[in-house]
Amino acid sequence: MPPKKRIFPRQKVCRFCADKSLVIDYKEVRTLRNFVTERGKIIPRRIYGNCAKHQRKLTDAIKKARQIALMPYSGPTYL
Amino acid sequence: MRRYETIIIVRPNIAEDEIEAIAAKTTSIIEGDGGTILRIDKWGLKKLAYLIKKESQGYYVFVDYAGIPASVAEIERVYRIDDRILKYLTVKIAEACNPEAVKEQLAQAEQLRGSEDTDMDEESELRAEEEAD
Repeated sequence: MPPKKRIFPRQKVCRFCADKSLVIDYKEVRTLRNFVTERGKIIPRRIYGNCAKHQRKLTDAIKKARQIALMPYSGPTYL
Repeated sequence: MRRYETIIIVRPNIAEDEIEAIAAKTTSIIEGDGGTILRIDKWGLKKLAYLIKKESQGYYVFVDYAGIPASVAEIERVYRIDDRILKYLTVKIAEACNPEAVKEQLAQAEQLRGSEDTDMDEESELRAEEEAD
């Protein structure tokens, strides 16, 4: 058994904490679009390192945008 | 008074004056209950992310207002009856709202945006002049 590799991931900073001018709004699909996959799934926060507070707001916003057909529940985002 | 915003999706083949009528109806309900309209934006025809009632496009209307919960219930009841409306979404923005103060804020924001625009214009003009030289 080789010794367990220890990986130190790069410290990621929440984008919304770093840039205060970036607001989470369900009407601004352009910012939300960065946090979903091509199929429209919400990307987990371990990928981009969002803080819990902002990830929560983000998911709420994405779900609202889905309700009013600004973003898809599933399927490609070809807008 | 609470601050709400409502987005309405109207069928795409509806005439402009009928959309105007829907907006007027909304306004009358809110103001009838003592609320204030802060902003009505027509976003125009947009592609929907998924089909709603077999329509792939919709005309978006955005209404920002201060009102009471009862008027929201009434508006949504009217929308549900109306065939021309595909879907609506109401979101509460603030628990307490002073319409006058918010209006002032909006006006100020508008002014700021306006001045920024002129700055940009000046810059582009300068650049154009430089290019001309």
